[in-house]
Amino acid sequence: MAKIGVFICHCGENIAGKVDTSRLAAALGDHPGVSVSVEYKYFCSDPGQESVKKAIRENHLTGVVVAACSPRMHEATFRKACAEAGLNPYLCEIANIREHCSWVHSDGDMATDKAIDITRSMVEKVKRNNMLQPIEVPVTRRAMVIGGGIAGIQAALDIASAGQEVVLVEREPSLGGHMAQLSETFPTLDCSQCIMTPRMVEAAQHPNIRLLTYAEVEHVDGYIGNFKVRVRMKSRFVHMDKCTGCGDCYLKCPVKKIPSEFDCGLGKRTAIYTPFAQSVPNNPVIDKTNCIYFKNGKCKLCQKACAADAIDFEMQDEFLELEVGAIVVATGFQVQNTAMYGEYGYGKYADVITGLQFERLASASGPTAGKILRPSDQKEPEHIVFIQCAGSRDPSKGVRYCSKICCMYTAKHAMLYAHKVQGGKTSIFYMDIRAGGKGYDEFTRRAIEEDEASYLRGRVSKVWEENGKLMVRGVDTLLGRPVEIAADMVVLATAMVAQPGAKEFAKTIGIGYDEYGFYNEAHLKLRPVESSTAGIFLAGTCQSPKDIPDSVAQASASASKVLALFSKDRLEREPVIASCNEATCAGCWGCVLACPYNAIEKKDILDRSGRVIKQVASVNPGLCQGCGTCVTFCRSNSIDLAGFTEKQIFAEVMGL
Amino acid sequence: MSIEVQYRNRAKELLSNGEVKLVVGYTGGTTPERRRPVFISSAEQVDRLVLDDLCIANLSGYLVTESLLSDEKSVAVFLRPEGIRSINILAAENQLNPDQIVIFGFEPAGNTIKALDGTNALEFSEFVVSLSENPSVSDSDPVIEKLEKMSAQERFSFWQDEFSKCIKCYACRQACPMCYCRRCIVDCNQPQWINTSPHTLGNFEWNIIRAFHLAGRCVECGNCDRACPVNIPLRLINRRMAVEARESFDHFAGLSMTQEPVLASFKKDDSETFIL
Repeated sequence: MAKIGVFICHCGENIAGKVDTSRLAAALGDHPGVSVSVEYKYFCSDPGQESVKKAIRENHLTGVVVAACSPRMHEATFRKACAEAGLNPYLCEIANIREHCSWVHSDGDMATDKAIDITRSMVEKVKRNNMLQPIEVPVTRRAMVIGGGIAGIQAALDIASAGQEVVLVEREPSLGGHMAQLSETFPTLDCSQCIMTPRMVEAAQHPNIRLLTYAEVEHVDGYIGNFKVRVRMKSRFVHMDKCTGCGDCYLKCPVKKIPSEFDCGLGKRTAIYTPFAQSVPNNPVIDKTNCIYFKNGKCKLCQKACAADAIDFEMQDEFLELEVGAIVVATGFQVQNTAMYGEYGYGKYADVITGLQFERLASASGPTAGKILRPSDQKEPEHIVFIQCAGSRDPSKGVRYCSKICCMYTAKHAMLYAHKVQGGKTSIFYMDIRAGGKGYDEFTRRAIEEDEASYLRGRVSKVWEENGKLMVRGVDTLLGRPVEIAADMVVLATAMVAQPGAKEFAKTIGIGYDEYGFYNEAHLKLRPVESSTAGIFLAGTCQSPKDIPDSVAQASASASKVLALFSKDRLEREPVIASCNEATCAGCWGCVLACPYNAIEKKDILDRSGRVIKQVASVNPGLCQGCGTCVTFCRSNSIDLAGFTEKQIFAEVMGL
Repeated sequence: MSIEVQYRNRAKELLSNGEVKLVVGYTGGTTPERRRPVFISSAEQVDRLVLDDLCIANLSGYLVTESLLSDEKSVAVFLRPEGIRSINILAAENQLNPDQIVIFGFEPAGNTIKALDGTNALEFSEFVVSLSENPSVSDSDPVIEKLEKMSAQERFSFWQDEFSKCIKCYACRQACPMCYCRRCIVDCNQPQWINTSPHTLGNFEWNIIRAFHLAGRCVECGNCDRACPVNIPLRLINRRMAVEARESFDHFAGLSMTQEPVLASFKKDDSETFIL
């Protein structure tokens, strides 16, 4: 005989302000099988939980329904309380009368009727709940970090330094990401490469880090603690174990005019190349699409030049199958292509460049060795116009959000220009100066006050060429008049956007993303570094636009989450998993295809002589995530989900 | 030599040399215009086989009879194009080994029939692809046109009237080659999702569940429609679901033996208009 306890929470005014909780308690008190029906101001509070426990003990309850907020909020709380009172935690259910009822209805009477329905249907479910025991699964203590920019490197170093193994996967030939491309960094103006390259070397040399460059994650299987990842090692056509990094090959390469990706097209590279001088690892790769040998079968000059005999034109892509317990995604961002602003002339005028291209001009390792020179004629510009929000905060042409770093790097650009070109004039068109952060506002003030950057609040409507000058027409809204400036160079503070393949990649690894392709955190405020998939964490700009300090902080945070996961040998998992009725299964394998976790296997049913009579589906409890997709697919109703059995769901529906 | 004689001779040959243990075909029915299935297991009986344009039933359902194929011996079967597609689905759903099936294929040609080339389902691959490229909507049904023009409310009352005739005999299920489950969902009573008694709710539940279970699997052979003793136009539901599967997911039931069931597979370019 069921003895169900119903505990109705007021949630202050959140529920009781709309729902007549006394009527609810009375209605449930009369419901068959309910022994206790009480209300209280806050059941989640300490005395509230104590009263639940006391009721369980005194009335020998066989099930508990807490009519309160969403189960996402406090299901764990009350299940724990039940367990402490000796009741199997899976005999406790939450009837959500806050999000599903009081918050969304205006009529109190009707809301109360609905709350009664919701709670009754949960009582009917609980009557049919079974005692379940948690499942334990082992944890593979090895992390994978995807992306070798500053966030990925930081996460990898933190995890490795704590004594755990890390596989660091980078798709480009070298570590470094965008930070390696930057000149100086705000707000302290320390040289980006000077602080970046030691970290790259440290990551490459760390005994706990296995570095895979020029490699891409192709497939992820499994679940928290037990992921199986397939990595494609793209063929470099250079054997890394033989190559000494001497550089003779790229000096000999006859194809010298390929626009360098690292220099944002401002510099040139060869077909066999390292992206930049400080590349880690320092072994080159052959760019197959531009290599003469791959085009017409002749050349091999690099192979002849290589004393170490490291070049192998026959090299094929290889695949690695790796087992890891946790994954940190740090796949970074891209600069938005500004071609959509025809009026700014990007792509049309050589001297209209992006902020990232300006970084390359200002960088000592860049195509001009750190001199600010116009790409068109290599002359020093006398007047530069910077246009902020060239893509950001523009719902009509660009993106709706603020890219967060542009105000700061534009101020930095103005400063670098003032330091490098004496007497150079700077005009900056801006919408707002957003300089929140330690030392940030002081930094922009310095650009204005010491380095004489002229800030004009307004938008630019057009850029055109006239007598060798770039004419910039805009408006100064503070003075309320149009402005026309004859500039030598225009720098666009372009938006940070998600990587072009970000959405596809999210599907590959099984995490969520927002409308822009940035990866979703589990909770923006309280779980900012966890993805919605257990065991997969986020770091850096793949989640949202960020500067270096934020990326590094988030990387360290995700590393700490990984280390917390690795602090235990075994992981407890919810026993909400599917199981198959072998007697009725028709073996059509629909569930095998439908299962997003590859958790369903084919099992042979044998007779006494060992002959296969039939094949049926069999659920691997370690892989099953309890999503229920197989249950809905199964035509013969042969699969059921513990905790949400057909009987329970049916009773719940009929209880309405 | 007529196809009937050709196939009788083939059947005789296969049965005598032991290549097949059984031939599933058609024979004369209770009236001159009817044909019924016949199961021939010896060469002497092949003269009972009849083949003409009146042979319309899809015989593939008999092949999944429990333990029929478990001795790994082959069975020959007379199939129209829809039946060949059924074989593909049954093979894709692991219900039979296509190598055990010898197909005697034929298709209507005007008022008569003609033989199809090939014996193994694989040999019909190109033929089935050509079917998918020319879906036979030509035999347009006036009732379908009438239904398309109705408002949702009118359509609902149309089906309410039709389903009110259902006596829950499950003849449609028995006749369908796709209904091979050992235990049908209507036979589950813990819980009883589908009302067994023949009233409006239970009749709707059964027919809607049946439509969903056949979505992307039905080859429109018409077995259910012909089997229904109260003449519910089940073909209309099947046609609608086939059109949905084709338009939403570019799915033609029974296209190949490796085809994935449309409701259990996910493609990245699937239309997801129902997800916000």
